[in-house]
Amino acid sequence: MISCTEFIPAYSELFKFLEAQGGREVVEAFWEHLSDRFLGNLRSAVEQNGLRGCWIYWSRTLNEEAADFTMELDEEAGEFRIAMHRCPSMARLLQFTHIEPYHDYCRHCDALYRRVLEPLGYQYTIDLSECRQARCALTISGQPL
Amino acid sequence: MPREIMHRQAADNEYLHPDFHGALSVGIEYLHEKYGEQAVRQYLWQFARTFYAPLTEALKTRGLAALAEHFRTIYELEGGAARFSLSEDELRIEVDACPAVKHMRQRGYPVARLFRETTETVNRAICDQTPFAAELVEYDDLTGRGIQRFFRRRCQGDPC
Repeated sequence: MISCTEFIPAYSELFKFLEAQGGREVVEAFWEHLSDRFLGNLRSAVEQNGLRGCWIYWSRTLNEEAADFTMELDEEAGEFRIAMHRCPSMARLLQFTHIEPYHDYCRHCDALYRRVLEPLGYQYTIDLSECRQARCALTISGQPL
Repeated sequence: MPREIMHRQAADNEYLHPDFHGALSVGIEYLHEKYGEQAVRQYLWQFARTFYAPLTEALKTRGLAALAEHFRTIYELEGGAARFSLSEDELRIEVDACPAVKHMRQRGYPVARLFRETTETVNRAICDQTPFAAELVEYDDLTGRGIQRFFRRRCQGDPC
């Protein structure tokens, strides 16, 4: 059995395997598929609760992933933000000395969540400029409800 | 509503996000659909040979005790009931219900048709190029209940 604590390297190696099948487009296509098939809980949380749905969704996932983060919700201003001080996934990949992270690993977060949130009327921005230091910042804004 | 803020440090929580099993399952089913059964096994083989390389080395130097230690840690962490029977030449693990499959069934996530390969192919890959081989003696796709056996190869013809 592959433990869920070993999923991140399995995921990173899957991206490499897919890229070897047909290039970057193949990886992108998988991310779209994963977003459509697996993020229904984020989609329904936001459909039912607006921006608070983001708070509900990431409150569970980031705590279960033992992330080092600051999360803010300002419903009056129509803004939800995550400052990821140390991403548990990337930090884990960087710790391993015997495997190399997929070269564009962090962009799956952009692809997966953007695909859910923009069609619901939200603006989605993510700063991945420090992803090799396991840091990023995500902002979701708008009040479409 | 006032602005709400949540701040957490890594040490505030245990690292255990079982929904990842569901994401892996989606990946396996995707490979199966797009590239066929062999692609699933090839991917899992490559992953296991790479990621579990230190475990394979430990298996060579410390024998089956290294594998038992690894799997005990995993099943305890994931809350899976597993019975271990260990000798110098054989390790047998009887799992009542795979924690990954159990979680996916509980959450309503689809379980990939070839999810068993995350045990069968991965175990075989870990044992590759060691004095030991792996066999999935029993496996129930519905619950993940099964018996895994690792044993010392007696001849070159033993499965790898």
